[in-house]
Amino acid sequence: MQEKLSPFHVAILVYMIQSGIVMYRLPQMLAEHFGTNGWLAIIPMFLLASANILLIGAVYRLGNGVSILVILEQSIPRFILYPFYLIMSCVWAMIGCLISKHYVLIFQMVAFPTTNPMIFKIALDVLIFLLMTKSIYNISKATTVFFWMLMWMVLLLFFFYKDFHWSRLTPFIFQGSTLTIDGFFNVYSAFAGYSLCLFLFPYSDKKTKLIKAVLAGNLITAIVYIYFCFIAFGFYYYEQLKTLQFPLLNLLAYIQLPFVQATENLLYGFFMFSIIITAVMYFWSAKEISKRMFPISDRLLSAIILVAALGFSFIPDVISEVDQWLSYLGYAELALSLGLPLGLIVLLLIVRKRGAALNE
Amino acid sequence: MTNTDVQPQPSSSDNQVKPSLEHTLSEFQDCIDLIHRSYPELHIDLLFFGHQVDHDRLYQDIMNPLLSGETEAIPTILKQSRFIRVRDSKELIIGILSGKAAIFFLQDAFLVDVFGVNSRAISQSETETVITGPHDAFTEQAGTNLSLIRQRIKSSHLKVIKLSVGEITKTDVYVLYIKDIANMDYVNKAIERIKFIEVDALFDTNMLLQYIDDAPYSVFPQFLTSERPDAIGSKLIAGRIVGIVDGSPSAFSAPTSFFEYFSSSDDYYQRWMLGSASRLLRFIALIITLSFTALYVSITTYHYEMIPENLLLTLTESRSRVPFPPLYEALFMETTIELLREAGARLPTKIGQTIGIVGGIVIGQAAVQAGLTSNILIITVAASAIASFVTPAYVMSASIRLLRFGLILLAGIWGNFGLAAGVTAIVIHMSGLTSLGSSYLTPVAPLKLKDWKDVFIVAPFKFLTERPSQSRSPNKVKNKMKK
Repeated sequence: MQEKLSPFHVAILVYMIQSGIVMYRLPQMLAEHFGTNGWLAIIPMFLLASANILLIGAVYRLGNGVSILVILEQSIPRFILYPFYLIMSCVWAMIGCLISKHYVLIFQMVAFPTTNPMIFKIALDVLIFLLMTKSIYNISKATTVFFWMLMWMVLLLFFFYKDFHWSRLTPFIFQGSTLTIDGFFNVYSAFAGYSLCLFLFPYSDKKTKLIKAVLAGNLITAIVYIYFCFIAFGFYYYEQLKTLQFPLLNLLAYIQLPFVQATENLLYGFFMFSIIITAVMYFWSAKEISKRMFPISDRLLSAIILVAALGFSFIPDVISEVDQWLSYLGYAELALSLGLPLGLIVLLLIVRKRGAALNE
Repeated sequence: MTNTDVQPQPSSSDNQVKPSLEHTLSEFQDCIDLIHRSYPELHIDLLFFGHQVDHDRLYQDIMNPLLSGETEAIPTILKQSRFIRVRDSKELIIGILSGKAAIFFLQDAFLVDVFGVNSRAISQSETETVITGPHDAFTEQAGTNLSLIRQRIKSSHLKVIKLSVGEITKTDVYVLYIKDIANMDYVNKAIERIKFIEVDALFDTNMLLQYIDDAPYSVFPQFLTSERPDAIGSKLIAGRIVGIVDGSPSAFSAPTSFFEYFSSSDDYYQRWMLGSASRLLRFIALIITLSFTALYVSITTYHYEMIPENLLLTLTESRSRVPFPPLYEALFMETTIELLREAGARLPTKIGQTIGIVGGIVIGQAAVQAGLTSNILIITVAASAIASFVTPAYVMSASIRLLRFGLILLAGIWGNFGLAAGVTAIVIHMSGLTSLGSSYLTPVAPLKLKDWKDVFIVAPFKFLTERPSQSRSPNKVKNKMKK
């Protein structure tokens, strides 16, 4: 019997997918786009993401937990579906690939200025391959272990209590905001990733309480973001925060122990655990869709997707370019997370109506 | 003892060959240790291996009753339950091989169990020593080992199943479980896997485990082995199944998880706080073993900025005379330590001590003075070597030591990135491992918070009310005390 996911696994999985590279820049982005006390903006974004998850919940309920790919294939002819599948798998594979590239570029910037980042990228891809060829149950087990190996870092925020000043949190809210739609979506992409739970339908049952678990995962993300950004806003001056490229790295660098300093060098390595899971889940989703079009062995398909994405990742070679590409892909991802459930709901309602009509 | 003998039996009567003295003797041709005693006046022939039988029992159970009476009385005596009539030649031969005496009377053949070999006395375990608690350990004889367990678990629910492995060695393997506490899925799975083995020889438990484990290519052991009857008894009570191999002083238990290898019976024989502290210390030791030397290599190769200024001076001074890159330096020292360990394990204890002293002086002083390594590396390597021996299970500490080499290499090539990648690869590998089909990472993944109080710490006994969830026991409660 195939083992089903437990609610805790799903919540952790969602948290680990969501928290990725955006976290390194989140306080700066909030300061830039939302102005003073920008960390408060996380709350409406969390609510928005939760609403979107509820939409996915409607698909889950209407479709009785049937795989969305089965729902699509039952009512739409394949020649229309396949190009759409191809686009989806490309978007997700590219997101997965660029996330790991982004991580590698920062690592290179921090510690290995003369090394070719693509060597690290290939090493990371090997790890991604090893994990994505396992079952989703095993991926979720690895995720849980990574979660504990990463979560202790929240305790590091205690280091900043001494230099946290309430006065830096000005009584003004969102002053100096230069909010644009672009900026909003850039920040919102910190929550992106919950849409991948659309593919968890076949791996969950009633005990999984899928939607509640996804909402819980989203809540964990929001709490961690709020806590982290709140500390960042109280630790740095608002103006200073705006100028930092990666506030997370600056914060990590601040931690000094009697026997070790420049801890960001080491602690940044820990973020690999979260990056791997984010990338693996995007690649895994791309693989799940591609499997419907190309029924070949799992390993071969994973290798093909990874190699194709790797080839593509050679193109952007500086962080700003990767950022640019990621923000475009972020739009596509957000469009999918909203459009896909909406389309599926319409489809399911039509099917239901047609079924009712036939019964009459 | 509830022994269910499931040794391979001839499937149908057609395959059976009637046992005869001539046929048996021809089978054992050139086996000079086979003793053949003939008593023509009584029409009795006795066959047995002289070194495998207990001569007192031989005289008491066979010689005296049969040879002192009249020929007419023999058929009546042979009806006694200890004389087992054998109708198949193969069965007779296996019986003689496993220490039974064969009696040929007229056309009939009988087997009598008079097995008795001289074996090592029960002594302390050398690999799993404890400070408090029972000190006896298993021996090479399965019978003794079974009795050590029976002495501790006096329950008719403790079931023992006998299997035989090895086409030539015909080694006895016993599977033990407690009925209504162990999950029968695991019992059946283990029996099925053991029956499936088709090899010529089996000499040790660890050899058997490599035939039946879930992932034969993994570096991690997937069955817990122990030489301590109290530890194995506690596994049975926890709802796990246990296996004993004749000729091996270690028993195995399954299903197991990675974290179980870091617990020792000692933890429960001390106050819970001390037990908890030493268990936590072992997990810290695991981190030290895996990462210390690798971190040294990574920091001194790529990330010098991580060292605070006052420490940097000491480090550069100590490294200034070393002509090799840190990776070679670390590999050289680690290999030396492994050589010392291996030499110490192979040599008799007295010479082993000499090796320790010679090694200590060579590593401690000469290597630094010769400018081959730095002082700080020696401290690092020594700390991680000591930490590796903290793991109570030798098989696990050996696996971890091997993994350490991989991490040192990765740290030498890619610094902290390599270290993180190595740890990630280990976790990915472990996430796919199972022991008898149950997750190797229980209770972390799948998360069973209830079990943490008996895995990462030892909570007061009042709180240890349930068996571990991994054993999926039909009877979960093991402690009903409220206080």
